[in-house]
Amino acid sequence: MGISLDTLTAAQIAAGVAAGKFTATEVARAALSAIETREADVQAFLQVTPELALEAAARVDALRAAGESLPPLAGVPLAIKDNMNLAGTRTTCASRMLENYESPYTATCVRRMLDAGCLPVGKANMDEFAFGSSTESSAFHRTNNPWDLERVPGGSSGGSAAAVAAGMTALALGSDTGGSIRQPAALCGVVGMKPTYGVVSRYGVVAFGSSLDQVGPFGRTVEDVALALDALTAGGRDPFDGTSQEAEGGFAAHIDDDIAGLRVGVIPAFMEAEGLAPEVKAAVEGALRTLEAQGAKLVEVDLPHLDAAIAAYYVIGPAEAFSNLARFDGVRYGYQEAGCTNLAEQSSKSRAHGFGAEAKRRQMLGAYLLSSGVYDKYYYAAQKARSLITEDYARAYEQVDVILMPASPTTAFKFGELSDPTQMYLSDMFTISINIAGNGGITVPCGVGADSGLPVAVQLVGRAFDDRRLLTFARAVERGHAQAAGVPGCVVAPDFAGKGGELA
Amino acid sequence: MRELTEVLKDWEAVIGLEIHTELTALDTKMFCGCKLSHDDAPNTNVCPVCLGMPGALPVPNRRAIESIVKAGLATNCEIQKHSMFYRKHYFYPDMAKNFQTTQGPVAFCMHGKLNLEVTGRGAAERPLCAFGDGEAASLASASANAEGLSRQMAEGLPERAGGALAGMAAYDTADLAVAERHEDGSYTVPIRILRIHMEEDAAKMVHVGGEEGRIGGAAESLIDYNRCGTPLIELVTEPDLRTPEEARLFMEKLRRIFLTIGISDCSMEKGSMRCDGNVSIRRRGETGLGTKTELKNLNSFKALHDGLAYEICRQAEVLEEGGTIYQETRHWEPSRKRTVVMRVKETADDYRLFPDPDLAPFDLSDEFIEHCRAELPELPDAKRDRFEADFGIKRADAEQLAGDPETAEFFEAAAAGLSGKAAQTVANLVVNELAAYLKGVGVALAASGIAPAQVASLAKLLAEDAISSNQAHEVFEAMAESGDDPAKIVDERGMRQVSDTSALQPIVDEVLAACSDQAQQYRDGNQKVIGFLVGQCMKASRGTGNPKLFNELLRQALS
Amino acid sequence: MALTEDDVRGIAEYATIALDESELTEMTAYLNDAVEMLEPILQYAAEDVEPTFHPIGDLSNVMRSDAVDADRALATEDALANAGAARDGQFRVPSILGGGDR
Repeated sequence: MGISLDTLTAAQIAAGVAAGKFTATEVARAALSAIETREADVQAFLQVTPELALEAAARVDALRAAGESLPPLAGVPLAIKDNMNLAGTRTTCASRMLENYESPYTATCVRRMLDAGCLPVGKANMDEFAFGSSTESSAFHRTNNPWDLERVPGGSSGGSAAAVAAGMTALALGSDTGGSIRQPAALCGVVGMKPTYGVVSRYGVVAFGSSLDQVGPFGRTVEDVALALDALTAGGRDPFDGTSQEAEGGFAAHIDDDIAGLRVGVIPAFMEAEGLAPEVKAAVEGALRTLEAQGAKLVEVDLPHLDAAIAAYYVIGPAEAFSNLARFDGVRYGYQEAGCTNLAEQSSKSRAHGFGAEAKRRQMLGAYLLSSGVYDKYYYAAQKARSLITEDYARAYEQVDVILMPASPTTAFKFGELSDPTQMYLSDMFTISINIAGNGGITVPCGVGADSGLPVAVQLVGRAFDDRRLLTFARAVERGHAQAAGVPGCVVAPDFAGKGGELA
Repeated sequence: MRELTEVLKDWEAVIGLEIHTELTALDTKMFCGCKLSHDDAPNTNVCPVCLGMPGALPVPNRRAIESIVKAGLATNCEIQKHSMFYRKHYFYPDMAKNFQTTQGPVAFCMHGKLNLEVTGRGAAERPLCAFGDGEAASLASASANAEGLSRQMAEGLPERAGGALAGMAAYDTADLAVAERHEDGSYTVPIRILRIHMEEDAAKMVHVGGEEGRIGGAAESLIDYNRCGTPLIELVTEPDLRTPEEARLFMEKLRRIFLTIGISDCSMEKGSMRCDGNVSIRRRGETGLGTKTELKNLNSFKALHDGLAYEICRQAEVLEEGGTIYQETRHWEPSRKRTVVMRVKETADDYRLFPDPDLAPFDLSDEFIEHCRAELPELPDAKRDRFEADFGIKRADAEQLAGDPETAEFFEAAAAGLSGKAAQTVANLVVNELAAYLKGVGVALAASGIAPAQVASLAKLLAEDAISSNQAHEVFEAMAESGDDPAKIVDERGMRQVSDTSALQPIVDEVLAACSDQAQQYRDGNQKVIGFLVGQCMKASRGTGNPKLFNELLRQALS
Repeated sequence: MALTEDDVRGIAEYATIALDESELTEMTAYLNDAVEMLEPILQYAAEDVEPTFHPIGDLSNVMRSDAVDADRALATEDALANAGAARDGQFRVPSILGGGDR
């Protein structure tokens, strides 16, 4: 009986490969066998790429055979959200528009993970062009929550979160425009981080809201996520992304730093928010006690303009989305309507039939919000609200080192449960504000809820460019929860653990 | 339709220009590292960024920003430290992203000015009312209008609340400089520049299956993105120009400046410098503005002049017949010498401008701006003044020589140490013989192989009366083709001008004997006939005689 | 004031998205719902604060050197590989003015 990948963290896989306990090729085969047995139920992937994974594994094994030192994540299986370009794969954004789009180049974030030795096992499902919180708007198929196949995995990076939760990969990349990493991480019971805007390059990631989008990793442990962030920032700022900035680095090295004497902020209004499930609230309270037990001090903080965040987000996001998606006209790439007699007809029908409903809604809203006479009332106002929210956070961080809050108001909901788009938008209430302000946040799972039996989680929100400390706090929550519950941090959804995924 | 000079007796034209210049001196595009080239096969200089591939991001070219700052400094603009790139949206496949990255209400360069000196026949076209107090009122109204336009553009786009917008009303209208007439009928007029902003060029589209590659009737269009993303600067003037001649002079002057600062090859033929003209007319003496039309396809100095002239005359005819001018875009057709409607603007376009979130704002440092200033070469106006003062050559020639950096350098080398008549002789050779020769053979100065020393030597032969100016033309051609020293050519061809009276006297006698009729006419008081007799002497000497001496000897003989 | 179907038709035309009549009705309802949800933002238009267009702190003057990047350039065939229609090394679009009602 071999070792199951389900029992190994990314750190342990890389260490095992480096030590020669098993080869990267064996890891790749184990991951692919897990995908083979589990994917039919979960449907996390839009494309599985065994050749690319095995090729990458062969390169790692050849390096080791040659006696070279291995990169830090050598042999770790990785799922890539399908809005990230990887040459040799299609990048569909889960849209008919890009159904046949072959990536002509590789995104910087993907390149860096591959340079760190990761094995790309596939492209993960998502809400179409990342518009959504349930992955239901994928044009191709839904993704099921590995903890309950009748429920959504969250979104928009639902495929990435589900792939990690179901043990099909150890790591995954997602993108987060309004919570698209942190909310599915919460619903699937994995760690998911949105670093500070600018820390990870956006080059090669199909843009939704350029001033909101940020790439980040999923893993089953805080350490794995920290290692991934180290890989994503290795090499410094990306010259191909003019908004990327130098990160402090050393993320994994500092996760076990002491938090004694540091201050944790709580926002009383959030704890009383309408729609917050009692079991989620209980998880936040549990995490608070854990942090307090490790010597952190609790401080109440107020973010007075936070109520503007959702409205600001649904102005800025659609406006930028309209602009970013204008390029999809069926000329250079993407769906092209056949049999049109003139260009205007071809463009408008290609866009009408290539995009799904939510993509069209957001673009229409954006086109309206940017129009003359409307722009100043909404867009300009939203950017002012953004200044106020950013100032709120800056003031709060004069008093505290991190802020603890829920990630999602509820546990995973059922398919179709939130059918009204504007109702769906409210599920991002706890995640949106830091996309507006740009600072980092991380979701840390805290076991399953007493009422639902589904994963519950908390969110830690840090200072801008203080992502290292954010990870230290996340590790403290994880450590405390593991001790209290008597379980390891790394848990594959029970229905899938042990099904395939054994190292030969 | 009446002639322009007739029309301008009743009407005054109000002209503003929008001039696009590609920064062809750069190696790469505005936002990506693709090579700049006009000549490569289609879609060979493209990458994910300039093709607008999903996920690609722009990063500005430093030399492009330096170039526009230099352009602003050279045209007396205020350099704006804080500005941003904006996205301007319109769906057309020549823009790979369906938006153009450009600038918003605040451009890198705002509120510049160039002085035009208008001489000769064109100077008469500017009406009297366009000088003095009346013109000041008119400029103020134009400014208010332009300011209004800027505000309209800025509506909802305030950046740095207050500060930048306050910059919009930078003109003190009470203190506006106006055109000044000089005693000789020439005049100097300050032309204000509203702004110069940085943007990117569009792809080239070829329309297949239609007439003359025009869009109408084409069955399909093909797109080449090589040009897409080429750094482009757009200069917008205030509507301060009053005649097609001024528009042409402004364009020429701007071209000389841009050539001198080395940011572009400024080829109107290849389209690296392009001009649109906005023109309206009003009755002389009025200060309000009429409805304007926008002219496209003014792709040469002649087209700029003739297109505007036609359009002014057309508008006058329409108005005189009681018709209405519509705000529309018109296309100049040089072959048919007319403008035709391209598109009627019923409402203002809504381009959904907003600050590009992918591009960090600019806060240019003093250091950056001073670095650009330090790299500026001597500008054409300063060079012209220096040539005029140091070499004592005619202002018009100095202007022409100073306008092209290569030519100016050549002239300076050829005329080194000379002044007065000798320098003017060099200037004449460069302005006339050299320019005509290069144009004739279609070669650039640098590639021609002609050395300044050759021209200096030729000028010396002229100054010594060793050859006549007619001979100079022949020697120039020979020298340009052979690369030989002119003195050698003159000697080899036996062209050296004979200034020895004893050698010339027999020829004079011979001619007078042969042309006794003309000799008698001269004696009868017809002075003009001397020219004919000098010509006969020149012919008899096979061009080697000194015509001035022949003239003297003939007069002596006939007196 | 609520958006009418005519307003929405105009936006769709600008955004180059062909909508049929039933889609237009749905879209109008959605846009009016969404705009209503966004109402809380209106009060911020008058705030005396600089807008934040870029959430990037003091980052400014980001530029690259004017150097040719041959690594990123695409071969013509790769540039055209995803195009719906191409001819002679170029992207092809149907008649710009022809056919239809334009």
